[in-house]
Amino acid sequence: MTGPHLSRRSLLSSAGLAGLGLAVPGLLTGCGGGDSAAGDGTGTVDFWIDVTGDANQKYFLDKVVAPFEKANPKIDLNTTFYKGADLRRLVQTALQAKSGPDIVRGPAATQTIAWSKAHVLADLSGYAKKWDWNSHLAEWAIQAFTQDGKLYALPMRVDTMLLYFNKTLFADKGWQQPTNRDELEALATEANGQGIIPFGSSNTDWKAAGEWLMTVFWNHYAGPDALYQALKGDIQFTDPVFVDSVALLKSYFDKGWFTGGTDKWFSVPAQEVGAKFGQGGYAMVPQGGWFMSQVGSFFGSAAKNDNDWDWMPYPALRPEVAYPLFEMGIGGSLAINANSKNQDAAASYLNWYYTDKAAALERMADVPATYNIPITFDESEIPDRIDPRSGRVLTSVNQAIQNGNYGYVTWTWWPPKADVFVYEGLEQVLTGKMSPKDYCAKLAEQFNTERAEGNLPQLMPRGAAK
Amino acid sequence: MTATSVPARPRAGARARGRPGRRGRLVGWLFLAPLLLLNGLVVIGPSVATVYYSLTDWSGLGPATFIGLDNYVRAFGDDKVHAALWHNTVWFVLFLSVPMAMGLLGAHLLSQVRRFQMLFRALYFIPYVVASVVNAAVWKMLLSPTSGLGHVLGIDQAWLGDPATSLLSVNFVVNWHWWGFLAVIFFAAMQGVDPQLYDAAKVDGANGWQRFRSVTLPGIRPTVVFILLMTVIWTLKAFDYIFIMTEGGPAGSSEVMATLMYKQAFNEYSAGYAAALGLSMTVVTAMVLAVYQILRKRGWET
Repeated sequence: MTGPHLSRRSLLSSAGLAGLGLAVPGLLTGCGGGDSAAGDGTGTVDFWIDVTGDANQKYFLDKVVAPFEKANPKIDLNTTFYKGADLRRLVQTALQAKSGPDIVRGPAATQTIAWSKAHVLADLSGYAKKWDWNSHLAEWAIQAFTQDGKLYALPMRVDTMLLYFNKTLFADKGWQQPTNRDELEALATEANGQGIIPFGSSNTDWKAAGEWLMTVFWNHYAGPDALYQALKGDIQFTDPVFVDSVALLKSYFDKGWFTGGTDKWFSVPAQEVGAKFGQGGYAMVPQGGWFMSQVGSFFGSAAKNDNDWDWMPYPALRPEVAYPLFEMGIGGSLAINANSKNQDAAASYLNWYYTDKAAALERMADVPATYNIPITFDESEIPDRIDPRSGRVLTSVNQAIQNGNYGYVTWTWWPPKADVFVYEGLEQVLTGKMSPKDYCAKLAEQFNTERAEGNLPQLMPRGAAK
Repeated sequence: MTATSVPARPRAGARARGRPGRRGRLVGWLFLAPLLLLNGLVVIGPSVATVYYSLTDWSGLGPATFIGLDNYVRAFGDDKVHAALWHNTVWFVLFLSVPMAMGLLGAHLLSQVRRFQMLFRALYFIPYVVASVVNAAVWKMLLSPTSGLGHVLGIDQAWLGDPATSLLSVNFVVNWHWWGFLAVIFFAAMQGVDPQLYDAAKVDGANGWQRFRSVTLPGIRPTVVFILLMTVIWTLKAFDYIFIMTEGGPAGSSEVMATLMYKQAFNEYSAGYAAALGLSMTVVTAMVLAVYQILRKRGWET
């Protein structure tokens, strides 16, 4: 829509979401028209972001917003904080109503494709060329957000899965970090025998937590090569190696190794999982890199215990799978609203945020995992003050990419509906309502449908990547 | 001189006061116009749009493809819809019986209390005035199998994590939040019952239960009928507590139509299908309202 009038389609679109109880403000805003314009590179840029907690928000305002505005005095970065679960719904509704923020904090790569296909995101290719973003960001991450030669978003954070462990507990018990399935299962059996639950985990506060586990088991049992072939469509998710991965996870649940049982995995709040992990009630916690920004609060004097934590790579669950191996993916994206009237100014922010390598590394050093944007850097460039455990994540991920020892996280490389099925269907498996074989068959069916519709991002190739 | 009686013609001013003239009607419409415009935008517009989108394959973003009644056909055969409808039915039965019974009992007890009545009324009412988000979050912790109330009492039950108890547990919390409100409402209605009827019943030898059944209940019937009607509608709208406490899980065991619609619209990019489900629920609600109106006309309410 190019004119100032509200077209029939935009009226119906906006009103349709409003009819679902979702978009009245967007509808009203939509009456103002939907012109898109580059603007003159100055003025107010609206930015909705899911930074939660007073300390985190203060850091964002002090270390991101303020320096950007100082460097760009003619741009006012107007930031509004939301909870993550609310933000996606609000942004999606606003975009459809041709409203919303100038800078769009989007979901994972495959879901952002859906937004791009609906033409609610601006084409960033011109800005990428102008500022040479390709030389600043990792190629694999840029490619994941490129469709038909057009860049529609920038990758927000590198995600990988880590196995956190209670370092003090391990030392007290004389346990070694397991590197393969036999060692892992021996450790879990011993811990369980001593009344210590091997894995602390739950999906109570984040419904999609099941896909973290499937990501781990598919990558470390089936292996990234098999996943690559499945994601390319060369083999199917019905292949026994994928079914066996699911069956292995289910068997661990049946043994009570996860949070003490399936029913508890569904009902123990995340805060409680963290507290019990810090106290030594859980030996290990399978979580994403993002958990690094919270895990410290469950240990030491702040949590009234004398324990300490660390992380390890996941053990290889089959001899054919490499060790160490890091699943690779992107958590979220930053794009520009196609209906923004100030796209140049919004792009200036993205350029500032992604191309100042020194500032980006400072942020990575200050706040564990949160600001891990996929830029290329040498280990020597990481500030010395970084927590060694956080620093080790950065270097490990870099090495994995360079060596080709990386896998694929579901929330980046699976199409949206298949991704939802990964964790919703897993609930059916864990409660015994569906067999691993049927689960994989349904996943394959959904995946093939969406793949045929072209809803997959460009996949990281096997071998060393950039 | 013939006396004739000619009716006096009403003065213009009097006519204007009795029936509005064209100008008066115009002024009335002008006053109504902003409200009508707003109503059109936020009620009629979305309603029409929802009907349209329920006939399309629409992700919630971008253009929609017209597919006729396919969404409705799909809904008829969708196991998730069947399960959600069944859960709504269970919810309805529980939501109708437990809080109503407790509300009536609470109101009756309140009516017997002479001292600290306001205190008890306030205590009953407190759960209702606390935001559902807060109630749900607190109960989620209280129902934790490793640190909640059950754990303290030595009961090893994951109330929200066991598919057999998840729906019932959330319903328990909703009932907990709701029954006190009903008690206060029913108590207010009981205040309007003529005391002489109770005296007459006593003279006739009626015991407490008989007085309640034959005097109190008929006396507050309009309130009870209204609450029944609203309960049906609220049951179909059940969303907030379920979404916060279980998100419809585990494995869909507490999924109701509203949570299913939300997931279809925002998680699975099937906003057209969600619109069809929403419209279907609207039809069910309309049928309930129609039955209510028929019963009212037949004098059931009074």
